[in-house]
Amino acid sequence: MRGPRAGVLVCCALLAAALLGSVPYAGAQRAVGTTGFVPARLWDGRTPDFRGIWQVRGTAYLNIEGHAAERGVAASPSIVVDPADGKIPYKPEALAQRNENYRARATADPSLKCYQAGVPRATYVPAPLQILQGPGTFAIAYQENHAFRVFYPDTRPHFDAADFWMGDTRYRWEGDTLVADVVALTDQMWIDGAGNFHSPDVHIVERYRMTSADTIEYEARIEDPNVYTSPWTLRTVLERVKRPGARIIEDECLEGEDGVRHHISPQDPRNLLKSDYSRWKKPARE
Amino acid sequence: MTRAAKTGGARRRRMAGAALCSLFCVSLCGSVLAQPAASPGGAVPRHPDGHPDLQGLWIKSAGGFQGLFIGSLDGTNFAARGGPPPGPRFEYTPEAAAEKKDRERRGYEDPEPHCHLPGVPRALDQPGGLYPVQIVQDEHYVALLHEAMHDVRIIPTDNSRHPRRYWAWDGDSRGRWDGDTFVVDVSNFNGRTWLDMQGNFVDENEHVLERFTMMDANTILYEATVTDPTVFVRPVEMRFTLKRVPPEQQILEYSCLEGERSLQHYTDEDGGKKRRVK
Repeated sequence: MRGPRAGVLVCCALLAAALLGSVPYAGAQRAVGTTGFVPARLWDGRTPDFRGIWQVRGTAYLNIEGHAAERGVAASPSIVVDPADGKIPYKPEALAQRNENYRARATADPSLKCYQAGVPRATYVPAPLQILQGPGTFAIAYQENHAFRVFYPDTRPHFDAADFWMGDTRYRWEGDTLVADVVALTDQMWIDGAGNFHSPDVHIVERYRMTSADTIEYEARIEDPNVYTSPWTLRTVLERVKRPGARIIEDECLEGEDGVRHHISPQDPRNLLKSDYSRWKKPARE
Repeated sequence: MTRAAKTGGARRRRMAGAALCSLFCVSLCGSVLAQPAASPGGAVPRHPDGHPDLQGLWIKSAGGFQGLFIGSLDGTNFAARGGPPPGPRFEYTPEAAAEKKDRERRGYEDPEPHCHLPGVPRALDQPGGLYPVQIVQDEHYVALLHEAMHDVRIIPTDNSRHPRRYWAWDGDSRGRWDGDTFVVDVSNFNGRTWLDMQGNFVDENEHVLERFTMMDANTILYEATVTDPTVFVRPVEMRFTLKRVPPEQQILEYSCLEGERSLQHYTDEDGGKKRRVK
């Protein structure tokens, strides 16, 4: 049985399996990049189950256009997938601004001041996030600076009367892909640590799609005619944090008097009262 | 910081500035958009797992330690059944009572206005009607997403153990369902939180037992018992109701950005940097 016939049989079996597997959700998947993975469902038997703790590995948060290795930080390729050259299509004057930001990044990155990281940056900061789903509810809690976003269905209009760090999000399901529409983002946050930026008129369409039980492909299409010559797209992968008992922990970030942020770790004993307010107990020890 | 935008309407920019800095703007926006629901009752909705479905957007109606905006026990208005418990509500040990009195004078040291997380039960005990909380619930977690301080509590429902070597502003919360009541045991506090703006406080020995009970479709009764043997001689009880916010309203973003710049306006005897002018 070894030889060409066995190979044909195997091929037929694989093809049949692929076809059978794809039938129930054939219309539901994007034409490009379909992996055929079918996510688990929530209680209603329909809604894909994205719940869990997720994190983007890698160091694209330093510069989404890619960067060489730096002290303590591995190199990263560009996560900009469109345009194909991996570069953000800035208008000339905006590119000059970005380059100026880049030169000043050590002190000018707004993230140093503990602002919430915004969209899409919060997704790929070096800290996990947790996707929360209840019946009819979708929200993401980000560990960094305890930011969160409540996703509202796109049947209700955006609330864009103010600009927010985390924007205003509306979503819908396209098959098994969650598509989120984000507006009302402040221009005071950068997209990464390299000075890449947008204006307050930015419009972002995010796509979250499970490509395996433990991976979500994250895509953000960023449109802002004030800054870019055309919309562009970044793509990265959220990986499930599988460590038993994993959870996002409290992360308080406050700008200190020196203008630089200070995280207060809940696992650092210095966080305890004893270092701060011990004086109120002193009389009792006399 | 470098201004990124060269374009965009003046209105949008003004709004960005307002959204940026102003605790009070957010307070106002929140209060405008988050009026409590007027409609009463209805059967308690059920989650697919059979427990009461606490999901939705909720706002404290009245009561708690911080009944009013400048809140304290004097402003208490128990909207729930039963009225206030008998006797003094905070019974401090003598040394803690002296500390409380001192903190009344040092109100500027209240950590929350300095953008620290409020702790428990202050996370829910925000001044009435100002800041809603969004609850997301599945069979493993009840998540409280607070507008105030964008505070997040993701509470497991498996009654698991508190971790070791973890001390947080909000402590560590572990929940379980006791019939139709969601009971949360909160421990592992860092001991730095105040309970209100009047100097009532706890230390790292704080322990809180919270009870969330749905009275009807639009009302959650919230009860908290705060114990702290080094601060209080007996447990402190609080109770208030959360009212459902109409579904057409939404939670807004609250940004608290301290930067400690205010220290230069306090005199050195108040813990600030400014020399006192004699």
